[in-house]
Amino acid sequence: MSVARLLFSRILFSALTLLLVSILIFLILEALPGDVATRILGRDATAKALEVLRSQLHLNQPALVRYFQWIGDFLRGDLGVSIATGRPIADVLAPRILNTLLLSLLAFAIYLVLALVPAIIQAVNRGKAVDNVISVITLLLLSLPDFLLATMLLFLFAVAVPILPALATISETSTWQETLRAMVLPAVTLAIMMAVYAIRVLRDSLIEVLRSDYVRLAELKGLRPRAVLFRHALPNAIVPALNVTALNLGFLIGGVVIVERVFSYPGFGTLLIDALQLRDIPLIKATVMISAAVYVAANLVADVLAVLLQPRLRTSR
Amino acid sequence: MKKLIEVRNLNIAYAGPSGWTNVVQDVSFEIARGEAFGLVGESGCGKSTVAYRLLGYGTINSFVQTGEVLFDGVDLLKLGPASLTRLRGNRIALVPQNPTTSLSPGMRVGPQIREMIATHKALPDDTTMERRIVELFALVGLPDVGHRYPHELSGGQQQRVTIAMAVACNPDLLVLDEPTTGLDVTTQRQIIQLLSDLRARIGMAMLYVTHDLALLAQIANRVGVMYAGQLVEVAASDKLLSAPAHPYSRGLIASIPTMDGTDRQTRGLRGVLRRDQMSTGCKFEPRCDFATTACRTTPQALELIADARSVACMRWRDAATQQLPAVVAGPHGRTAARSERLLSVADLSLSYQRPSIVDKFLGRTTHSVVRDIDLELRAGEVVALVGESGSGKSTIARAISGRLPPRSGAITLEDGPLSPALDGRSAEHLRQIQYIFQNPDASLNPRSSIRSILERPLKHFGIPADGKTLETVLESVGLHAGYLDRIPDQLSGGERQRIAIARALLVNPKLLICDEILSALDVSVQARIVELLRSLKEKHDVAMLFISHDLAVVQQLADRVAVLYHGELMQMSETASLLTAPLHPYTEMLLEAAPSLRKDGHVSRPPATPTLKATPGIGCPFAGRCPRQPGSLCADTRPPIQETGSGFVRCHLPIDGLGRHARSPQHMRSPAVEDMRLQSL
Repeated sequence: MSVARLLFSRILFSALTLLLVSILIFLILEALPGDVATRILGRDATAKALEVLRSQLHLNQPALVRYFQWIGDFLRGDLGVSIATGRPIADVLAPRILNTLLLSLLAFAIYLVLALVPAIIQAVNRGKAVDNVISVITLLLLSLPDFLLATMLLFLFAVAVPILPALATISETSTWQETLRAMVLPAVTLAIMMAVYAIRVLRDSLIEVLRSDYVRLAELKGLRPRAVLFRHALPNAIVPALNVTALNLGFLIGGVVIVERVFSYPGFGTLLIDALQLRDIPLIKATVMISAAVYVAANLVADVLAVLLQPRLRTSR
Repeated sequence: MKKLIEVRNLNIAYAGPSGWTNVVQDVSFEIARGEAFGLVGESGCGKSTVAYRLLGYGTINSFVQTGEVLFDGVDLLKLGPASLTRLRGNRIALVPQNPTTSLSPGMRVGPQIREMIATHKALPDDTTMERRIVELFALVGLPDVGHRYPHELSGGQQQRVTIAMAVACNPDLLVLDEPTTGLDVTTQRQIIQLLSDLRARIGMAMLYVTHDLALLAQIANRVGVMYAGQLVEVAASDKLLSAPAHPYSRGLIASIPTMDGTDRQTRGLRGVLRRDQMSTGCKFEPRCDFATTACRTTPQALELIADARSVACMRWRDAATQQLPAVVAGPHGRTAARSERLLSVADLSLSYQRPSIVDKFLGRTTHSVVRDIDLELRAGEVVALVGESGSGKSTIARAISGRLPPRSGAITLEDGPLSPALDGRSAEHLRQIQYIFQNPDASLNPRSSIRSILERPLKHFGIPADGKTLETVLESVGLHAGYLDRIPDQLSGGERQRIAIARALLVNPKLLICDEILSALDVSVQARIVELLRSLKEKHDVAMLFISHDLAVVQQLADRVAVLYHGELMQMSETASLLTAPLHPYTEMLLEAAPSLRKDGHVSRPPATPTLKATPGIGCPFAGRCPRQPGSLCADTRPPIQETGSGFVRCHLPIDGLGRHARSPQHMRSPAVEDMRLQSL
């Protein structure tokens, strides 16, 4: 199967997935008990005010019509208006997404290093003390809940040894150094949480690849150990870890919510929690759709990368 | 000749759960410059361990070793990693056993050769890297395939690539680890031919490790026979094959099925190599027909018995002169012709792709892997299905066993039609057809005891069994009740295959489908399983569809042979007449490629018209490769079926003209066959 054809079918499936997600969100929010207008305005609201709000929210129309209206607007880029603040959702979302994107990129960069380096060290020294020590550490971190890890790091580097700020509050006036310093702790937390899974997968697949015939032949060709490792072993070992990375990106979206909360980082995650607390339904819909889209896109990228790394997949079905 | 490599008193032992295991014991041999030395023995005899030590390679964990491996006077066992890296690939190169898994899957083959030349700075001054790589491909008879990924090449082409790689830096020594084991007979032949040719041209020394003595006969100057980690005989290859001195060598040679039909003066090996059952004296004593009590306690060492010939056996003189009752070879008791028809396959066409809706709409037809197969099996009859890999042998077996519903055609068992799909078949039908797979390691559940593996089919089919049933069936495959509580891991490959056969037999099948069941086993084990199958056929009237690429085994077992090429039956004939008068050009080619125990100087015949490509489904698939085809007729017209005395031939040439072809000794080493496959990619 050619790469183009593969890409096409995967994109089609991704779009289908997102469509299903949109239907699900809509149905769930629709199924919430009680009248939305009453929930927003409170029990004391007058009948007139409720009526106005209902027509504002198009609540008088059938659900199917409202769904298509919403999804149609969404596809055109009109995300609607936040009920809580009255501002267009796009304006509310944009800076938050940017902040979270920055945080995620930093976390992802740290993640790559944190996943690759220990896994390679372990695989090359399998069975030795280093391997066991790293295994124990990753297992320990794996069993820690993320908010606990975040709090521990917070305590260590902001309270016990105060080298980093405890609160990751940034604003438009912050300099980039301030922003970066603020982001370090949340980013490291996220990176560790993701890396522990990947290290274990990558270690095992790398050990398997290092035992393979082609690595042995590469060694017996007289290639230097570094060439054997980076040219022959790693590209093939990384494929299983790619899927973990894609799943990790899904985790990142969930983890961002908690970690941002712990460090009070003004990102997408805090916005989602705020939206839920304020029952800002248009905002909830928009944030959930966007996180679903990110998740689906991450998996798409991982699939395509796997095909690019394994030429065999390109021709076999 | 000057010694290039000298192994002196090499000892290697691994620490296992039950103490030390001596993998290699006191092995000493040398290889002169330009000499080809063969190392032969059953699996687990330590031959590969020795071979990899010549590259200074081996697992460092938990082993002790003593002795020396001198390469040009330098002890490889004492060299540091950096010096070894400089030697490997550059002066000592490896041709691996399995090219498919040995080439890096994510890298084009050109760069894989390039990195080796670049690392060792072995590019000759007067050429460029690109030109050198093309030159290397040409040397092994490939077009410029540098831009291809390993999976885009056939097994034979992949092995050619690894050979090109191995000779890229003009090494002094080539270590070959069973380089043709996974290949077809015809491809095997081409590779052997290529290797001897390269040796003549480049003049490098070779260490050729194999369990296949017939191949060594074609390529090695001298051969060392290994048993349980020791060299038991070293001799010139022609001497060894014609007059083996050690009882083990004799047994090994006798176990090889040959097609020349000569009467055997010796008999094959009994038992298997078991490291846990070894006497303190001669290691071979438990399996030796000549053993005396003294053998059990006296360790044997190599001693010179003639010029350049040594044996580690104190009774070699007795062994060499004593005659043992010969085992009669060849199929016998041909009762099959009289018995009833069991299975018939008519007009079978198979395909792995299901035509999609779009294809149906456009009226496109997808390519069939197997076309127009007509086959009949009688009760107690063994029909062999032979052909190269990819010819559709296993695909036909899948269809008969119900795992691949045919696109068209009918399968009939006895008098009733057989449902095309597995879930449509009655329990009775399922019981009557049993399947034995190629690889017993993968076909037995590693977590179950042999007992529960054997009990499952009984329970499934509700066959009443008493305590004796399992014992009886184990006895019939030559094992005993002690095996019941073991797990597959504790068994050798041959024993596992026997369990697989026992499992199939338990339910009293009428038809056994044997899919290359011998190819993973040592010759000595093969010989005994052939014996077993033959007695099953005679005693229990079990019919077999025997899939194999080994014509010698086929000769011993099969009543009739069906020759398959690219999914079409080329010929169907009684075994004896097929082997003596092959008729079809493809059968002829297969027979010629089968190695004999004598150096036969076989040269693969180049295809007459490599450019000719048959119209799929219409022309003869063999057209382009056929050395005798009369013209474009073959590619465009469906060859007619011509009846012969015992079967049929599908060929345009009249039967009178077939089989009496004057063989032209064309000494072209053209792997043009593979080029064609390449072009059709």
